[in-house]
Formats: sequence, structure tokens, C-alpha cells
Amino acid sequence: MWEFVNFYLIPGLVLGCIYALGALGITLTFGILRFANFAHGEVMMLGTYLALTMVWLFGLHPLLAALPAMALTALLMLGLDRAFFRPFRSAPTIISVIASFGLMLMIRSAVQVIWGTQPRPILPGVQRPQAWLDGAILLAPKHVWILLATLAIMAAIHLLLTRTRIGKAMRAVADSPELARLTGIPVETVIRATWVVAAATAVAAGVMLAIDTQVETMMGFKMLLPMFAAAILGGIGRPFGAVAGGLVIGVAEELSAYPWLGTAPLLNPAYKSGIAFAIMVAMLVWRPSGLFRGRVL
Amino acid sequence: MRRILLAGAAVLATATAGTAEVKLGSLGGVTGPIAEIVALLMEGRELAARHVNEQGGLFADGQQLTLVVGDSACDPKAAVDAATKLVNVDQVVAIVGPNCSGATLAAAQSVTIPAGVVILSESATSPAITALDDKDLVFRAAPSDAYQGIALANYILGQGVKTVALTNANDDYNAGLAAEFAKAFEAAGGKIAAHQVHEPNKANYRAEVATLGGAKADALVVFAYYGSSGIAIIRNALETGAYSKFFGADGMVNDELVNQLGVDALKDAAFTTPGADDSTGAFKAYMELAKDLKQPLGPYVPNAYDATFLLALAIEKAGSADRSKIAAALREVATPPGEVILPGEWAKAKALIAEGKDINYEGATGSLDFDAAGDVPGTYTLNTVTPDGKFAAKLLK
Repeated sequence: MWEFVNFYLIPGLVLGCIYALGALGITLTFGILRFANFAHGEVMMLGTYLALTMVWLFGLHPLLAALPAMALTALLMLGLDRAFFRPFRSAPTIISVIASFGLMLMIRSAVQVIWGTQPRPILPGVQRPQAWLDGAILLAPKHVWILLATLAIMAAIHLLLTRTRIGKAMRAVADSPELARLTGIPVETVIRATWVVAAATAVAAGVMLAIDTQVETMMGFKMLLPMFAAAILGGIGRPFGAVAGGLVIGVAEELSAYPWLGTAPLLNPAYKSGIAFAIMVAMLVWRPSGLFRGRVL
Repeated sequence: MRRILLAGAAVLATATAGTAEVKLGSLGGVTGPIAEIVALLMEGRELAARHVNEQGGLFADGQQLTLVVGDSACDPKAAVDAATKLVNVDQVVAIVGPNCSGATLAAAQSVTIPAGVVILSESATSPAITALDDKDLVFRAAPSDAYQGIALANYILGQGVKTVALTNANDDYNAGLAAEFAKAFEAAGGKIAAHQVHEPNKANYRAEVATLGGAKADALVVFAYYGSSGIAIIRNALETGAYSKFFGADGMVNDELVNQLGVDALKDAAFTTPGADDSTGAFKAYMELAKDLKQPLGPYVPNAYDATFLLALAIEKAGSADRSKIAAALREVATPPGEVILPGEWAKAKALIAEGKDINYEGATGSLDFDAAGDVPGTYTLNTVTPDGKFAAKLLK
């Protein structure tokens, strides 16, 4: 019983939190700018390298280093939007998609030139799990940080979207850009705010992934598929759908390897990457609007 | 420019026409993914050819040994093209190379075995080459990964560890190594309590580690590349407390492993890599001769020297540039009985062969005694992490 919680459920939740934070940015940019941003994973990776540099330069804790890295990446993202996406604002969306694909390759190559391709630790050493509830639950401190930090960021995003002017404007543009424009909402400002939120949450996801694993130049690309799957599962343009989708996919990937029948894993763990694909395809076929009634692709 | 080239070619043509030559194919991945490694080992081949030519050349009339380079590009298709040219156009006696296992298999099956030409690769390590139906025409101067599996299995059992859990990354190199290791470990009385193939490049391997941990073995054997899954698996195994003792092979030996996991976590870890016994006279002789090379001990550079020198000895032993006699002659000069020949001792070997005596070449990388499949036994070193965070290598006897 506790083995199920410690080795399958908790790792699934930790992974799900990382997917959820990443999917949040994808669903927001998809909802407001109306294109699938393939560069999202690389923005996440770039921000993680910036955080790693902060750790090297100032000896900060990775979670603290994430804050300046989020700010820097958000600024960079505004510049990238100006250069790569704004010229295509009124063009067919496929052009923006292809531009994001090119941007993805460019960011990755630039990072490889600057930081090299060798994987690096952001939090060296091994954290042994600590016992909770008389030893029933084993939880490493870094996983507690990841779960708590995700909750804090979710709460902040929720407040931003429901309580602030710009947040409400973002939701309005996501619902109907034309109507929003007619009612006097400054769409460009909303778009900039969207990029800032997307970049910041992506960096948070990247740093948490790096704390759990390592920093390397392919980390963003590897996360792209599960993050897209989470966004589609939750419903495009639905921030809380993305969070729910991320958690479902993270937990489903890990639980698929649990020995539900007998002693062998239900699904050989070598195939667990397929889970996100399977969920994404199934959702697109049977319920394209996602769990939370988002936009149909 | 063109005129200069033509003039140069004409000069070369007259120069080579003056002295008779024996052509030896030198096939390697000159371009492609391992071009840097091949550039270094090509120097090893050229050094061996130079030693032959400086000490009297081949046969009684002192013919020059010429290396004809072909580019196999570490690619099966390119290897077939380049081997075809060497065999049919250049009419080489035998071929040293190619470098990559895939290229070697393709060149051997499509070109050299049907043509009856011996190839001797200094760097192809796939166990699949052993099983090739090669009419005794395919040899290697680098140990098959099968031997690495045996070396590691014996070491682990020697440490008193009888039950292990095994995991390997889902690629040709690591899967081949894992299969050989499992066979050797079980044949020697050990028990593989669990075997889990994993997909590289995943964020975490806790589910895999949980499955492996459920087997309650004494140690975890990991065959993977350190960057794509090796470090993550050891980290997850330590974090979940599933295992604290680890074994593995050359794909894991990189400073980044220590950098990420720390010295304490790896005090019970050991990894094998191919190595050379640096206490032998042959090794010392090679180091003295090769000191001008950029990297005398670069990957497979000593093997390249040994492979080229051995083929030259085989041609000398055969007595003529006759392709069909090379395989038998190669076995005679490489294996006991016979007077021991060390790297660089061409004049001595030539004299002994002229007297009709047996010789036995001992190379920088080992005895080079070919078995029935044309493979050589491996010399492996064991790499452990020292308290100051470096890998220390110790020869496995």
C-alpha cells in the first residue's frame, strides 16, 4: 500500500506538477495568441540555464535563483515576441507555428553554443527521503518544495486571472479577441502580459524539473509532448484545465507501471512515454474540447 | 592549379613505379560522427606502416607497404562503397578497418567475405560480429563487448555479490552488453533477480527503480550512457533507498557522474572499461615508439597500430601479396607458439620469418591471440571513485 504511494503516486504528482506549470503557459498562449507555441519547451530550458548561471555566480538556492531567471526570461520573451511573432500577428496562424518551430531550434542551438551540451546538476548530490507519518510516507525535501511551490504559483495565477484588471482582460481576449478589442481592451498589452506569465511559469517548471533531475539542452523538447497533451486534456485556453491535465498525465504515466495485476508492471515502464500520446489522441477523438470545455482545435 | 596537380600526380606515379609496393586497404570513418577519433587512430596505422618500411619493407626485395585510405564514414552504405573500391579497383591484399560495428558488418557481408579479403577492425566491438559467418576472414583487434560482460560478471561475483538487478537502455550497444552480461553472470552461478529495459531521456525512473527494487537484489547493474539515463537511474535508486551498490560499463564513466551524485553516493560503485595492461614489455615498447603521436593512448589508437602491424606480418609470412593466404598467416603470426615479437620489431620478425621460424606478435593492447571467431580476449580496467572525486582505474586480471 505505502509502496504504491511512495514509489508511484508521489512521483506521479511531482511530475504532474511540472507538466501542469508547463502546460499553463501553452494553454494561455494558445488561448490568447491562437497558435501552438513549439518554442515553449526551449524557453523553459533557456530560463533553467539562466537559473543555473545564477546558482553558479551567486551560490543561490535553485528555487531563489528561479526568481531572477523568471524575470530575465520574461524580458527576453518580450523581445522574441517583438522579433518573431508580432510581424505575423495578422498572418495565418500556421506562419506563427512555423516561426515558433524555428525559434525553438535557434534557442536550443544558442544555449548549446553558450553553455555546452554536457548535462549539469542544479542541485548536486542525492537527497535521501525523509519519513513522515511514522515512516509510512517517504518524501524527499525537494519534492516537498516542488509541491508547495507549484501550489503557490497556482494560487498566484488564480488571483491574477480573477482579481486583477489585466487578468480579466486576458480572459476576455481568450474568449473573443474581436469583442475584447471593441470594448477597448488593449490587446497588445494583454499579449505582452501573456508572454510574461507563460515565460515565468515555464521557467518555474524547468527549474523544478532540473531540481528533480538535471539541466540539459534537450530537457524542454522532451517535455513538450506531455505539456501539449496536458493542455489539450484540460481544454485549450483553460488554465485550470491545464493544471488538472498535467496532474492526470503525470500520475497516469507513473501508475501505468504499477503491478495492478499480479507482480509484473501493468505496462512495461519502457513504454510509459506513450501514455501522454494515448491520452492526447483519445481526447482529440472523443472530446476535443477537453475536460474543461476549452476551444476545439 | 590543375596543371600543378597533374604534375604532382605524374611525379608520384613515377616515384611509385620505381619501387614495387604492396597495397593494404585502410578503411575508416574519416568523415562522419566519430571523425575526430578516426583521425587519431589513422596516425596509429600510419606509424605501423612507417616502421615496416623503415626496417626493410616487405619480402626479400624490400617492397613498400602502402596504405590506401577509404572512407567508411561510420555508415553501412558508405562502408560498402569504400570497401568495393578498395577490393576491386585498388586490388588491396587485405583491409585494416572499418571502425564502427555497423559499417564493419555491412562491408564484411556485402564485399570482403564474398571477395575473400581479410579485414581486421581495431575498434568494432559489437558481439554480433562474433556470430558472423565469415569464412575466417573477419578479425578484430579490439575485444568484443561480450568479453566486457564476462569481465564484469566475474568481478561482481568475486565481490561476493550473488544476486543483482539489471537494467539497460534500449539501444544496440547497451542491450548487447546487458544480454552478454546476463548470460555470463548466470552461467557463473549468479542470479539476475530482475531485468528491466528502460527508455533513455525520461525525467525520472522511479517506476523502473521500484520494479527493480522489489526484487531485493544485492546490487544494481546499469548499462546506459551516463547523460541520457545512467545518472538519473542511480539517483532515483539512491533516493528511494532501493539500491546503494552499483555496477556498470564504459558508457557510465564520466566525471559528470561524480559531479551530480557526489562521492559518498558512489563509494560502492564500480564500472569496467576496455584498457591496456601497462606493465607488459609490448606496452612499454609501443609507448616509446608512439610518443610523437598526438594521443598515443587515444581511443583505439594502440589497437590501430597493432592491427596494421599484424596485417603486415601476415603478408610477410604469406610470402606474397596473395589474398587467399592472409587469413591463415594472420593466425600464425598472432598466436603462440613462436618467438615473441613486440611493437616496432619488424626487422627481427622479418629475419625470423626468412629463417622459417614461427613468430608470435604481442601487441600494445594485449596478446592478440585470435579465437575461432577471429576475436581477441579483452583487457579491462575497473573504474572506481576515489575520495577526491576522480575515477581511478585498476587493471582487472
